[in-house]
Amino acid sequence: MKTFKLENETKIESGFKTPDNYFDNFSAKMMERLPMNEPKVISIFQKRKNLFLLIAAILVLALLVPTLYNYSTTQKSNMDAAALENYITYQTNVNQYDLINVLETEDINNIKISMVIEDKAIEDVLSLNSNLENLILE
Amino acid sequence: MQEEKEFIEQLLNLKTQNQAFEKLIVDSQRPLYNHIRNIVLNHDDADDVLQNTFVKIFQNLKNFKGESKLFSWMYRIATNEALNFLKQKSKRNEIPSEAVQNKAIENLEADIYFDGNEIQLKLQKAIALLPEKQQLVFKMKYFEELKYEAISEILGTSVGGLKASYHIAVKKIEAFINRN
Repeated sequence: MKTFKLENETKIESGFKTPDNYFDNFSAKMMERLPMNEPKVISIFQKRKNLFLLIAAILVLALLVPTLYNYSTTQKSNMDAAALENYITYQTNVNQYDLINVLETEDINNIKISMVIEDKAIEDVLSLNSNLENLILE
Repeated sequence: MQEEKEFIEQLLNLKTQNQAFEKLIVDSQRPLYNHIRNIVLNHDDADDVLQNTFVKIFQNLKNFKGESKLFSWMYRIATNEALNFLKQKSKRNEIPSEAVQNKAIENLEADIYFDGNEIQLKLQKAIALLPEKQQLVFKMKYFEELKYEAISEILGTSVGGLKASYHIAVKKIEAFINRN
């Protein structure tokens, strides 16, 4: 058996066939399939992009206003202790009895000042007090 | 060259586009079909790929830079479409691309659009065993009788590289046919 050599053989065709008239109708079929002169589709969003962006910006600002307002008004004010005391003393009806009623035993203990007072000092204070007699009588 | 430039201008001009593109289809349908058919082997698949190729060509006409010949550019699109078609088919059927090709060869015997004799079928079987690049080079040189310069422009490979690929492909095919 002789050795097969491609260049020594007559050309071997691929052997592929097409249906009859395939190429006669192909161009017409193809032209119908082409996306020719298709109107360009522009989405509504693209067309009115600026308008949408403007509305979005206004909405964002409108939503931010109450937040910013709350932020500015809820800032903690460091109230002066002396001013508060003056207010309670002069501008309200709170008297010492009201304050005593509010205080608990524990609060009273907390404000107790331990102080050692000598008998002589007490005597001096009492002797200088002109109302001493009235106090004793009471 | 000047003629081709004018023809490309007609393809890009909306007024002359339809007529020019129809001419392009008529002139190139047979060589492009043969090129695609040699890759996908089956007529129905070749018909699908050829239609997709012309749609792609039409859609990308405005991107054609004129750096290569219109003919080479169209062949390149057809080659990519055909190879992508085989890859998608292999993915869809979850089998390797070699298996897709082997199946297509097996089906050739019963294909009404293949009238090959024993040696033609044996040649197809031998080609199917080659690597993808060698298959392309062999088919374009042997069946389609394209010049090395044209193949080089289509595949982006040097003429020397193509000659080597073709030579190796021929040797492998001869060895296969002599064995079988």
